[in-house]
Amino acid sequence: MSGAANPVMNIDPSLEDQDKLAEFEQRIADGVLIEPGDWMPDAYRIGMLKMAEHHANSEIIGALPEGEWITRAPSLRRKLALTAKVQDEVGHGQMLYRVSQDLGKPREEMLRDLITGKTKYHNCFNYPAPTWADIAMIQWLIDGAAIMNQKTLADGAFGPYVRTMHRINMEEAFHFKSGEDMVLTLMSGTKKQKAMTQEAFDRWWGPSIMFFGPHDKPNCEQLPPMKWRMKTESNDSLRQRFLNRFAPAALDLGLLIHVCEKDEEGMVTSKKVDEACVPDDTTGNWGVTDPDWDEFFRVIRGNGPCNAHRVALRRFSYEQGAWVRRAIASGTSSLPPAA
Amino acid sequence: MTNAMNNMLNDLEALLVLKMADDKLFLGHMQSDWTGLGPILEEDIASSSMAQDDLSHALVLYEYLGNRFDLDPDVIAYERKPNQYLCCDLATVPDDFNWATSLVRRWLFTHYAAPVLDRLALFEDKELAERAHRLRAEEGLHVEYLDDWMRRLGSSSDEARDRIQEAIDLLSTHAGMLFEIPGRDIDTDDSFCCGRSELFEEWARNTNGVLEQTELKMQVQLPGMEIVGGRSGVHADHFAAAHAEMGAVRSADPGAAW
Repeated sequence: MSGAANPVMNIDPSLEDQDKLAEFEQRIADGVLIEPGDWMPDAYRIGMLKMAEHHANSEIIGALPEGEWITRAPSLRRKLALTAKVQDEVGHGQMLYRVSQDLGKPREEMLRDLITGKTKYHNCFNYPAPTWADIAMIQWLIDGAAIMNQKTLADGAFGPYVRTMHRINMEEAFHFKSGEDMVLTLMSGTKKQKAMTQEAFDRWWGPSIMFFGPHDKPNCEQLPPMKWRMKTESNDSLRQRFLNRFAPAALDLGLLIHVCEKDEEGMVTSKKVDEACVPDDTTGNWGVTDPDWDEFFRVIRGNGPCNAHRVALRRFSYEQGAWVRRAIASGTSSLPPAA
Repeated sequence: MTNAMNNMLNDLEALLVLKMADDKLFLGHMQSDWTGLGPILEEDIASSSMAQDDLSHALVLYEYLGNRFDLDPDVIAYERKPNQYLCCDLATVPDDFNWATSLVRRWLFTHYAAPVLDRLALFEDKELAERAHRLRAEEGLHVEYLDDWMRRLGSSSDEARDRIQEAIDLLSTHAGMLFEIPGRDIDTDDSFCCGRSELFEEWARNTNGVLEQTELKMQVQLPGMEIVGGRSGVHADHFAAAHAEMGAVRSADPGAAW
């Protein structure tokens, strides 16, 4: 579900061996994939680790808001699909932690850093999902945004991450289809279902627009993250693509696109139709009212509606399962049985 | 309550299928709640697959009943009154996110489900027999996998062994009621396909066979026929909580499509 990360990367290439750096950059320009055993600038290794770890964290935290609805799914097929979907997210986390492990950080340390707040995860999972329609919106909007982002990341330069993105994207396509079907079913349903869906859309539209991160620096393509193909498209370009795909789709479904004020718990307190959300006559690009970036940074700093709840649940799970991990490590067998 | 539903609930052969379907539904329901919260990522993924197997098995059996009695499988699964569900209490005992409870519950149940599916696969009704045969293959994997975990944790650290023993002590008090026979008209030990004593002996032999390879112990007696429980629709309080949670969204807008 989660998209990659836009972690803050303070990378200074001038500290690297300049000959090796030139060779490394040439390999990337030639489209050669970088493997864990290859020489790479320290800044690249650190940046890639930060990115893959952030992405892995986002997957296993992202499993939580949807996971809370498995037991309430309203039909057997939805229950099965949602369980499988959340399981996929855990699987994506597992694969991405393996990528991160290859870059030098043990899994246990990453899990500990996550539950102690030393590392972050994607901001969008700090918003509430109080109804079944929110689950539909997460699968439609957030997974839709994640696919757009991750397709470009699959075009990156770090081999293990690129291969993992290809595998993840295949599964994400199913998640998106499931979300699209849920939204369509709800918007073709009763008055109550349509109202619930509009309210959920109001809650998730803003976080979806912010999903791709803040506006880019003017020279972003010359900076290491893009120059070294850790990411291959700018935040604003991805956001525009998302808007062009989802704004007309939402209107076609009968949803209204609002600019919303929210309270501290992430619930909408007032809203008005977003007059800026129309296509440009010349370019055809859809506009949108710029989201509240203060809110974005406030949530990143840990002060979003659900930050404490999400991290507390992960900590609970980590602590509850500690005895199993201890038993496996101290017993005669060193690994859990294969799935 | 529709005539179709009444017909199903008054058919003794259908009740044999329904009790297995209801067990599978609630077992899968309880275990699916662990998805994303397992003790090890790999085990989280594996146990979620098993929860999905159980939910799918319930669906396959509800579909069979739905075809036979002209009912929507989701209506059978979601829209009966609590006393019309025939699952045993073992399926809905809260595990309080204790992995030992979750593991032992599934292990006790899978050793019951495998021989029952063996017997359902011998039914003259070809559609039922084929469905049971398909489910049995997956159940066999559950038996193997859960036996392996019981052996590992039951003979690893003192801490793990104590936790598993505690879960066995808690859940074995409910295990005997797996063998309650649904349908109050049946009052002999070896009625229908599932001879009660024979089934219990097979279950006890297989579970004890695993425990003998560990330092764990379990004592379960076959309850008397006069004792009624979940299979007769008489459920412990915790069933009501699980049932209410499962239907919370669906019952908020009755008749809506989801």
